[in-house]
Amino acid sequence: MRITLIPALLLALIFFLIPVFIMFYQGLFDPEFTTQHFDRFWNRGAYLRIFINSVKISAITGLLCVLIGYPTAYFIVRRPPSVRPILLFLVLVPMWMSVLVRTYAWMVLLGREGLINMALVYVGILDEPIKMMYTSGAVYVAMVQILLPVAVITCYGTMADIDQSLLSAARVMGAKPFAAFRRVFLPLSLEGAVTGFLIVFVLSMGFFIVPALVGGPKDTMVANIIAVQVAKANWGFAASVALILLVFTLIAMTLIRVVSKRLIYSAREETS
Amino acid sequence: MKSLRNSPGSVLMTLFFILTILFLFFPIMVILPMSFSAGETLQFPPKSWGLRWYREYFNDDLWRASTFRSLRIALMASILSTAAGTLAAVGLDRTRKSLVPVFTGLFLAPAIIPNVIIALGVFIMAVWTGLTSSEPLLVMVHAMLGLPFVLLIVGAALRQQDPSLENAARVFGAGPVQAFVTATLPPLTPAIISSLIFAFFISFDELIFALFVMGGKVTLPVRIWSDLQHFINPTIASVSTIFIIATTLAMTTAEILRRRSANRNA
Repeated sequence: MRITLIPALLLALIFFLIPVFIMFYQGLFDPEFTTQHFDRFWNRGAYLRIFINSVKISAITGLLCVLIGYPTAYFIVRRPPSVRPILLFLVLVPMWMSVLVRTYAWMVLLGREGLINMALVYVGILDEPIKMMYTSGAVYVAMVQILLPVAVITCYGTMADIDQSLLSAARVMGAKPFAAFRRVFLPLSLEGAVTGFLIVFVLSMGFFIVPALVGGPKDTMVANIIAVQVAKANWGFAASVALILLVFTLIAMTLIRVVSKRLIYSAREETS
Repeated sequence: MKSLRNSPGSVLMTLFFILTILFLFFPIMVILPMSFSAGETLQFPPKSWGLRWYREYFNDDLWRASTFRSLRIALMASILSTAAGTLAAVGLDRTRKSLVPVFTGLFLAPAIIPNVIIALGVFIMAVWTGLTSSEPLLVMVHAMLGLPFVLLIVGAALRQQDPSLENAARVFGAGPVQAFVTATLPPLTPAIISSLIFAFFISFDELIFALFVMGGKVTLPVRIWSDLQHFINPTIASVSTIFIIATTLAMTTAEILRRRSANRNA
């Protein structure tokens, strides 16, 4: 090990690893070992419901991001190499925009007197403005817009590694365009799509700005419980919820990894 | 390939791509004209134009204080993060292969693990040590959050670099530090500047740690957050516009730097 690693190691140790351990302690000891915080989580239906709801919102967000992100990445990777960085840049700039600012933009757009309602009434699709803010739909639109670039770059990462001439080869051998895509490109790029879903899913599980600002009471997510409990100084309970979230994210990450590997390998054998 | 590009399928794909980009940019771009409204509320397009909401922002002591606090914290955090991350990237390049995944895993984890979890731990730690409302604490936390990005950017630049440069410097009698500073560091400059930019924005936009740890010392994101919970304050449109323009300029600079360094190494 090199001494130059020390400053970064200290930062990661003191401000990441130790805090996570402190949270374990806070969730499990009060001051003696106790499972009371976890009992509270499991026994009050409301918390469990919020957790399951977060899993649902995150899974749907992940799916939507991959469904839009995969074709977007495919479009970019099929362009000449000189054009690709410019198109990727167009996707990356919004990714670095403040999440708060982007959520605010949706608040402005989706309001009863917001631009979208006004436009729909003006065009005649709506007779009068409808409620868009504080709905699940608003949460999905904002979350997909915020996380879509992540799905695009993950899909693009694996696609860029695929030898593009494989597709042309399949065409030369007589495969129709879509068949060439399905039999050759899709199996090879599936890993990026699954990883993209996984990353968006895990990132969504930690979201709290969007559900708090554009969602209704039904759209509360796990991170919102943690923030509220911290404000109420219920650290033990907040820590136990955070622990459940941590364990869940870690399990979800390993599980989907294993499943995706098997899926990808079986698909590859089928092609070969 | 030509025939592929003009097929109806590819026209659809192009349309799909344009729609996706519009979806990504549209909400951001709508804010810009709205912030120049002279009216009481936000309108699109504004009925009358003016800098009213910018004056509101710049003349308010509390907005100014939180902006300067965030700028200060982001500046220090990005320098600290880039320094520690660059040194770590160089160190990882020369660490035993079996250990590298352990370290990279540790450094990259905060980019994936929900920040609210780490923030809660940091908050409890701050209470135990009496370091709540401490700017230096937030600076170091933000530096930790920037590490994954610095490591990826500088690491990528390092892998393209010829290690024999530093060896040559050593052969000609330079000490390890001198060899590093004169041979390894200069070609990394574009990557280091990009890292500074990215780490700066990670900190400048960070809400949850600041919300938990900083108490009454409100940062700019905390101020925006607490305003948004009550009402749609048009002042936020002007703050957002400044955010948007700054991010776009900074990202463009980072992209140009990245391309320049890629061309040099090619």
